[in-house]
Amino acid sequence: MTPQPSLMKPNSIKTRFAYGFLRALNSLNKNKTSSPSSPKVIFRRCRMIKLAADASMASAVGSRRAWSRAVLCKIRCQRALAMRGRIRSGGFTRRSGAGKGFGVGRTDGLRKLVPGGGAMDLCSLLDETAHYIKCLTTQVQVMRNIVDICST
Amino acid sequence: MDPPIINEASFSAANPSSYSLAEIWPFPINGELSRGGGGLGLRMCNFGAFAEANSTRDVSVDESTVTEQSAGGRKLRDANSEEDESSKLVSTSSAKDLKNSNGKRMKMSGSRDENGGSKSEVEANSGPENKPAEQSTKPSEPPKQDYIHVRTRRGQATDSHSLAERARREKISERMKVLQDLVPGCNKVIGKALVLDEIINYIQSLQHQVEFLSMKLEAVNSRMNSPIEGFPSKDLGAATFDSTGMLFGSQATREYMQGSQPEWLHMQVGSSFDRET
Repeated sequence: MTPQPSLMKPNSIKTRFAYGFLRALNSLNKNKTSSPSSPKVIFRRCRMIKLAADASMASAVGSRRAWSRAVLCKIRCQRALAMRGRIRSGGFTRRSGAGKGFGVGRTDGLRKLVPGGGAMDLCSLLDETAHYIKCLTTQVQVMRNIVDICST
Repeated sequence: MDPPIINEASFSAANPSSYSLAEIWPFPINGELSRGGGGLGLRMCNFGAFAEANSTRDVSVDESTVTEQSAGGRKLRDANSEEDESSKLVSTSSAKDLKNSNGKRMKMSGSRDENGGSKSEVEANSGPENKPAEQSTKPSEPPKQDYIHVRTRRGQATDSHSLAERARREKISERMKVLQDLVPGCNKVIGKALVLDEIINYIQSLQHQVEFLSMKLEAVNSRMNSPIEGFPSKDLGAATFDSTGMLFGSQATREYMQGSQPEWLHMQVGSSFDRET
């Protein structure tokens, strides 16, 4: 299992995501208690891993994209909420800008799926959706590879 | 600006039939017609060179009807033959007005002025009844300073709102095309609503996959205690790229996910029970 430098692009989003995610997994493993775990603990750890994956993906993308900004902001808010137990309302949402010819329910569904999509107009929503899909496929690939490597 | 718009539409839509139209119409509309033609000349000149030929043709039709009415017994063929000269005439008259109102268009219509200079007797025919109406209407129209060259098909609106809307729609359809290329199996789907449905489904499946993979990672992590710390992270990073050859189509992953998630959950629950007992 020698690293092939030709395949590695050190600045690609994939590489950065992989590094960030592995680092987050390491820190999660260090904090892990070795006590026998109940399903609730397992579920919570699953959520932690998913949050770590999302956070490392968003930080790999950086703050150029609206959806990664939204993800980072949401995670920060959740952390603050978990620490202080305080409820904050989310950002504003935009309802009026649905395009003609598109179903309003469909664009609303897309707005709900893409993080931060509530405050975008249709053009930038589609733009962000395209980038988000690319990043999600990258995330799935990398996570799948990590699972394969760890399980064999 | 209302009457010129109506005239423009009617003349550009039914160019050949406008002779009979002018004959049917009673005389008092004639002044209105010529006024509309003058306004039209100004308007269309603003649109730039490509629209110029069109505008002169429309105006010439307009003008020939005027000469026909004033001459009384002329044949249609005569009006036809005079179409060119009268078109030059109208362009010269509108050019003079343009010189008065804004000097920007002077260069464009100046050449026409020279062309139409020789046909003075036609000018004498129909000039006097034509010009006062134009002069009276010109100052009321605001001079258009900033304009863009836009290529439109017939019947498409050319005001700024419609142009902006058209640009926005083109942008949206372009993005939709990018998205269609991105989402597998989406190229065959026709209709934006269905494409959006497909995109939403794909994003949902990807998010579920991430969830599922995080569960799997958790299981792997808990099964062998901290396996990742054994590796230096650089090697693992490289390894993840080594095995990127195992790319997958979305259809396969969807099936894989749907098929294997319940089993895996079963296994997970079973193993946790084993641990607890």
